[in-house]
Amino acid sequence: MNAVQAIATPAATPPTRATIWRRLLADRAAAVAALLLSVLIVAAILAPLIAPYDPYAINLGKAIRTPDGENWLGTDATGRDIFSRVLYGMRLTLLMGVMSVLVGGLLGAAIGVLAAFYKRIDGVVMRVIDMLLAFPAILIGLAAAAIFGPGLGAVIFALIFATVPDVARIARGAAVGVASQEFLEAGRAIGLSDRVLLWRYLALNCASTIFVFLTLRFGQVILIGSALGFLGLGAQPPTAELGMMAADGRGLLFLAPHIVTIPCVFIFLIVLAANVVGDALRDVLDPRLVA
Amino acid sequence: MSALEVEGLVKHFEIGNGLAFWKPKRAVRAVDGVSFTVQRGETFALVGESGCGKSTTGRMVLRLLQPSAGDVRFEGRSIYDLDHHELRVLRRDMQIVFQDPYGSLNPRLTAKRILEEPLEVQGMAVGAERKARIGELLRLVGLTPAHGDRYPHEFSGGQRQRIAIARALSARPKLIVCDEPVSALDVSIQAQIVNLLKDLQTEFGLMYLFIAHDLAVVKHIADRVGVMYLGRLVEEGSKQTIFAHSRHPYTQALMNAVPRPVPGLRRERGTLGGDIPNPIAPPSGCHFHTRCPFAVERCQREAPALETIAPGHRVACHRHAEIAPVSAQEQVRESAALYRKRLAIFDAARAAISAESAA
Repeated sequence: MNAVQAIATPAATPPTRATIWRRLLADRAAAVAALLLSVLIVAAILAPLIAPYDPYAINLGKAIRTPDGENWLGTDATGRDIFSRVLYGMRLTLLMGVMSVLVGGLLGAAIGVLAAFYKRIDGVVMRVIDMLLAFPAILIGLAAAAIFGPGLGAVIFALIFATVPDVARIARGAAVGVASQEFLEAGRAIGLSDRVLLWRYLALNCASTIFVFLTLRFGQVILIGSALGFLGLGAQPPTAELGMMAADGRGLLFLAPHIVTIPCVFIFLIVLAANVVGDALRDVLDPRLVA
Repeated sequence: MSALEVEGLVKHFEIGNGLAFWKPKRAVRAVDGVSFTVQRGETFALVGESGCGKSTTGRMVLRLLQPSAGDVRFEGRSIYDLDHHELRVLRRDMQIVFQDPYGSLNPRLTAKRILEEPLEVQGMAVGAERKARIGELLRLVGLTPAHGDRYPHEFSGGQRQRIAIARALSARPKLIVCDEPVSALDVSIQAQIVNLLKDLQTEFGLMYLFIAHDLAVVKHIADRVGVMYLGRLVEEGSKQTIFAHSRHPYTQALMNAVPRPVPGLRRERGTLGGDIPNPIAPPSGCHFHTRCPFAVERCQREAPALETIAPGHRVACHRHAEIAPVSAQEQVRESAALYRKRLAIFDAARAAISAESAA
């Protein structure tokens, strides 16, 4: 095809997933963050293969070692290898984040979109959501730990509980904006059912807003989850979990600061990467910007 | 029997009092007893200022909004008696084209999908036939099948409106409600779209309910015109009647407000002063009396009924008999004479100047 033809042919390429990826990776910071996040996730998944030591093997002879060639990130007060424990700890931390964001996100999005679509339930539903918004996640976590007993389940429950109202608010806001456009009415005029209108017209058009919010939320959730772990409401010893590992080491903060610092650095890396990726996704996912 | 009969349509929108829930709810009377009929193959235009209830009327005609009272009959059957299934079948026959082509197409769907949806819902044109039908629709509105794979944001405003028209056409409707279909477009594009609508009407014998505030467009496309003011129909008649022999002072003011490309044209009657009154608490009697140059005491007391003053010409005004019909053409003719006179003076002056400089 020669150049003239190339110009004359309209560029009829619809925005595909490939385009979105390309635009996302064109953003240098987002590309690095996405890479970091994927490395951390893969490392967590492959923990049993990568970890040089058993994360639960106590070796008092090797206690409180600073990082060296044998124990890359040192050992903790009972001589357990911190690198192995971080790998296993990330599994729980990431699982906690993904679970609460997924379940809380789905529930919240469904509530928000339904409230925007069925105006009759809107007032009641959103007042209930407003009430839930008044409870901080830490408080819900305390309550959940009191009811179910401390553990990862209680933390995930609390995080889901705290995520739902926030997502519902965002989703309703987005859906009300979408519903005010005439295409929803046009869809009704051609005889589409409520189900199709809700999904194909409302939900899909709010999806990018909600998705971006959830990516940002992922970082916050991990932070709150770690805080709950630090408070002893989450996973119980000897389970490796990043927040709890930080709590474990706090007695030796001045003697061996690396025991506290290393899990915190990993929490920081996960949260930072998730936030940067979320920010970049917000720019990329808007369909009007995808050319 | 008319194909579309609208009888006494009323729509009240309740508005909340915020937290003051003990106060009685107030209502906006957006549409307040509107009746008209549309014949097959005809274009009936509803005109009026924004907020007069014309779009609300259009939506009730399609049962996109539930009226507070009144009835709409399409081919003799009330569309408000239909059940779920019958309503879906009815959707084939009546469609809508919206004002804003940027908001009326789902941004997540390609043009092809947008045109396919009505066929899918109605179970029409299955399989290979459907693809052919979509191509045919795109060609009908002046696009090519290659456009089908694009998303709405990849089209210009005029092209989007063409897609919206193609969507309205896809299930072969008999009635299309055009809700200000050109007012969001450039003037040059407006002409294209209006002409397209006219061509499609001739080709398919469509019936249009054309909602507009641009009288130039209405004059071009309408067969009959209804003028609305604050939720009521104040005058109705053929296009010729409304544009040349209107009797209602509001219609006359509207006609007077149309810009005319005639130099030196002086407006004899002033254009309307004041704003459209608050529809929550409309004026008593005739809604128009607050702005009407002919208002008398009776107009404040008594709402005038729509009266037939000539075949096919209805007016709601107590004093219509005393008000001289306004014809736009006469004004133009008069002022054109004035303009010629002024041109002659100008020519004479220029001749004098050139004679002087030659000397």
